[in-house]
Amino acid sequence: MRWPRALGLAFVALLIAAPFGLPAFAMTLLTELVILGLFAMSLDLMVGYTRLISFGHVAAYGLGAYASGYMLLNTSLPLPFVVILATLLTGVIAIGVGWVCTLATGVSFAMLTLAFAQLLYAIAFKWTSVTGGSDGLAGIPRRAGPMGLTLLTTKTGFYYFALACLIGSFLLCRKLVASPFGAVLRGIRENEAKTVSLGFNTRLYKIAVVAIAYALGGLAGALYAPFAGFANTELLFWLLSGQVLIMVIVGGSGTLIGPILGAAFFLLLEHQLSSVTEAWALFFGLIFIGFVLFAPEGIWGLATGWVKRREKPLAKVRLRD
Amino acid sequence: MSTLALLLTQVVNALSQSALLFFLGVGLTLIFGIMRIVNFAHGALYMLGAFVGYSLAHWAGTFWLALVLAPLIVGAVGAAFELGILRRLYRRDASAFLLVTFGLALVVTEAVRLIWGPDALQVPAPKLFSGVVFLLGEPFPAYRLFLVAAGAVMAIAIWQALERTRLGLLIRATSQNAEMVHALGIDVNLVRSGVFGIGCGLAALGGVLAAPLVTASHAMASTVIIDAFVIVIIGGMGSFAGSLIGALLVGFVQVFGNYYLPDFALAFMYLLMLLVLVVRPGGLLGKEA
Repeated sequence: MRWPRALGLAFVALLIAAPFGLPAFAMTLLTELVILGLFAMSLDLMVGYTRLISFGHVAAYGLGAYASGYMLLNTSLPLPFVVILATLLTGVIAIGVGWVCTLATGVSFAMLTLAFAQLLYAIAFKWTSVTGGSDGLAGIPRRAGPMGLTLLTTKTGFYYFALACLIGSFLLCRKLVASPFGAVLRGIRENEAKTVSLGFNTRLYKIAVVAIAYALGGLAGALYAPFAGFANTELLFWLLSGQVLIMVIVGGSGTLIGPILGAAFFLLLEHQLSSVTEAWALFFGLIFIGFVLFAPEGIWGLATGWVKRREKPLAKVRLRD
Repeated sequence: MSTLALLLTQVVNALSQSALLFFLGVGLTLIFGIMRIVNFAHGALYMLGAFVGYSLAHWAGTFWLALVLAPLIVGAVGAAFELGILRRLYRRDASAFLLVTFGLALVVTEAVRLIWGPDALQVPAPKLFSGVVFLLGEPFPAYRLFLVAAGAVMAIAIWQALERTRLGLLIRATSQNAEMVHALGIDVNLVRSGVFGIGCGLAALGGVLAAPLVTASHAMASTVIIDAFVIVIIGGMGSFAGSLIGALLVGFVQVFGNYYLPDFALAFMYLLMLLVLVVRPGGLLGKEA
């Protein structure tokens, strides 16, 4: 188990060093990738660890983005506070969402999350005075931080801020899934009836994980608004919910790191394909189908499987001893 | 315009909208009932139906041929997809289907763009119904009345087919207990291919019928799939009667909401869905929670 940590640290070091070696357009892409990775990872808590498939995770992203965009435009709060407030707001609203959605299970749960996301979409479209309607909120500034800190106004500074959010959230999630709380979540995933009979109120655990996942998704959205400079209804459109779910599954659900890789794969592939061919979505679709057929464990599963296969012969020798 | 005439035109409008939604919803619910698959490609196949219908109508010079052939062609595409890909995945969990049907939706949407170009295409209504009729002295497009009739005829036809034919019997039996049907010597895989094809064909039928009303465009896929989900969820996944009730409810909420409270129409539909799911998590006529 030592090599994953070494690899992870090397990867983080690379991400930290990136602004010194990469051109500006690549840094924009990388920042977006960090934000999308955080978004996908937040969904993995629900999909991968609790098997709560959500078709409406954009609700979290959009809520965070609109909340942070609105606060940056209409208050003078510094950026980090805005991001924290938007995260908390999303998390608090998600307690209500979780309470309603966990009334159902399986496909109905997924559809309830979708209904809630669509409801937000409809509200964002019509509540023009707050959300800007179909135009959305434009010109969202990356305001200077507290105590005159101007670092966050630059692209590089903002990248580090987003990266810190991603790494912090990743460490938090890893602690969470390794804790007794995470064990209950996995219990729900494997056999909810059994977990209930062991005396756990699984509904409360599910509401809690929905709230945490939405809060982190909200954090990603809260970062996206000042990154892109706008928040519009596209951030609440159901297509993005489908896409982020695919990032989780293609990357490898239930691994935390997999969905981040999935988001990277998704974004880079889209970027590369769209520069080569106009019909990039066609190949995109074919690649997803190929993944399901030939790599059911996702990217992370492929990578770790490859390592395991290489280690296998050794293990066999030891067994014979 | 008198209040009564206005109300009547709104009701007929809502009924014609419900008819289009019903074709989508019933296909989706049949597929779910048999295979437990939420078909994300349903909207894309609906769109494919509209475009294939456009080409056929131009090639043959008549809308009626398109109406018959386009669902058959799209149904064949669906059945082929089931045979080639879905069939390998029945032992896997739901996320696999989600991914492949999402992939299919992307492929179909993009293929349509490559074949028919990026523009919306106008499909003329059949001559017989291209005029107007007068309802209580108010002019009303005849084509919408035709849609209402077509929806009613198809609903009765599907209902009777499910209740009285051998295929209908197999479909109902497979949705209740596939293993038992298999044990009785029926090729369940064939039923699945058939139902997936029929479901996709019904979506295409909706697409062809919608085309003269809204033109064949790429946007129709992504908006309509959510409507279809809402219908199926309200009615109860896998329930034929549920999809009919769902289509009527959504059709009326959309048309009347758009007319009387346009600001809230969109939200109403989702509120309705939330309300139904909170009260009855399996949908109005669904069995499972």
